[in-house]
Amino acid sequence: MTLPARLAGSARRLSQLHEDPAVIARWQAWTRPVLSRMTPGRRRAVLALAALYSVGWQPLQEVKPTGMLKSPDALPAVVAVVLLCFALVLVVYLAACRFPALPAAVRARPQLWLHGCFWTLVLLHRLAPGPSGVAALAFSGVVITLPFLLWRLGYLLKSGQRGHLSGTRFSDHLIYLYPSYGGPNTPYGKGLDYLARHEAHSQEDLARSQLAGLKLVVLAWIWSRALDLMRGLVYAEPGGTLSAHGLGVARLGALLPAGGQAAWAAAWAAVYSDLLWEVLKLAARGHEIVGILRLFGFNVFRNTYRPLLAPSVVEFWNRYYYYFKELMVDFFFFPTYIRRFRQHPRLRIFAATLAAAGFGNLYYHVLKNDAFLLALDWVGFLPWLGLRAFYCLALSLGIYVSMVREQRRRGARTGPPVSLATRVRRIAGVWTFYGLIAIWGADSTATFQQRVDFFLSLFGLR
Amino acid sequence: MRHRHRERLLEFLRTIQKPDRPLDSVAETDSLVEAGLIDSLALLEIIAFIEEQYGIDFVATGFEPEQLMSVSGILDLIEGQGR
Repeated sequence: MTLPARLAGSARRLSQLHEDPAVIARWQAWTRPVLSRMTPGRRRAVLALAALYSVGWQPLQEVKPTGMLKSPDALPAVVAVVLLCFALVLVVYLAACRFPALPAAVRARPQLWLHGCFWTLVLLHRLAPGPSGVAALAFSGVVITLPFLLWRLGYLLKSGQRGHLSGTRFSDHLIYLYPSYGGPNTPYGKGLDYLARHEAHSQEDLARSQLAGLKLVVLAWIWSRALDLMRGLVYAEPGGTLSAHGLGVARLGALLPAGGQAAWAAAWAAVYSDLLWEVLKLAARGHEIVGILRLFGFNVFRNTYRPLLAPSVVEFWNRYYYYFKELMVDFFFFPTYIRRFRQHPRLRIFAATLAAAGFGNLYYHVLKNDAFLLALDWVGFLPWLGLRAFYCLALSLGIYVSMVREQRRRGARTGPPVSLATRVRRIAGVWTFYGLIAIWGADSTATFQQRVDFFLSLFGLR
Repeated sequence: MRHRHRERLLEFLRTIQKPDRPLDSVAETDSLVEAGLIDSLALLEIIAFIEEQYGIDFVATGFEPEQLMSVSGILDLIEGQGR
């Protein structure tokens, strides 16, 4: 066996250490006193208790950036937000438990009703007089806190719709509704249905899950250090590792306002380094969260799995931000796919892809835009919406074309195996696609036209 | 009846599975995606197959992607529809 083959074999064994029966047995032996006490019920109870802590903490974090806490009314308002949101969660839980008894219109479109209620609140907030007093502050707090809960409540309703709530307790649902491990609006680990399906019920399964969790926690630490190194060596920013020796590559968002004036090499370097930065950032945070879930026996999929080695655009989307992709697929792709254009296979896939990567993606980001939710200022919002819509449209088209190509490749699988050069070319193509569409997705003060100019300059057209 | 459905389903899965994974190595209750037998794209083809071959309307029956992840889940769905 050659040295590279031996090294590759060792690396594979190391990365699959958590699946090695001998390692699992040793871990079980070491941790038996703890493992034997960590029954599924107790593990859920610990996470539910920790969730109660985040019930109050999360709204506080949401309100802080708005500067509301400087007001003397802030604390009572935050308490009101916490109680109101918790009451809403309880109402949705009770509705999900009694799903068959809900009005037929709600049963037919529960997600539409959930989001409809939210937007009614947003509209009422906009129409409410005077931005002062505890009640007004609390109302604003509820409006910007609810998007965090909205998708999670969506999974809760889905669970009720499928009749999966019997045998579960309200406290079980707190685990993902108010995750103590934090996270964005996207529910990592989805809802209780998904978590329960991946829950360890034997000590051996728990040991396997914990080892897989430890591996992710270590990887999260490594990627965090890699981010520090990148901040220093690539961007030469203060606080980064080895920043004195940094290359000084410009951040994509900072370079975009230069439009076509950006230097060609600097522009390409910004495009690819931005992609790498975003992937590392997502991997570090995602591994941390999924690592914690696995340590508690929920052996769920990783959020990020080697996206930079993805040979197709659709595969990258699947591996880059798994739980966001799942959210879009669960709430937009499948509902469209099973309802629309059933007699036209290609159109059917296109419509579902556009619904998920296009509309769903855009809507998700609208819900993250606190300033818009509070003011409903359409005039100020339209330029942002235009940029985001363009990004989502480009992403949808890329994913659709990639899906069709993948289906064709699967149909022609009798051909010769793919060469290394072809694989490298495909991976480079994927990097370039995602790097380029980020021009319209990156946070920047640049206008749409400046971004177009920047894009054209990459190909010497400006 | 289940045996006949199973044969028909396996025959279809062989046309969409990844070439390097033997279908026989996957247990009936295993997730086909997690076992690496099919990718998530193939799920769309499974939906189309079930709609076409068994006349199942997922809008009417309700749709659970997880049910389509394993051979036994798909067979349960088909049989549940036939009852």
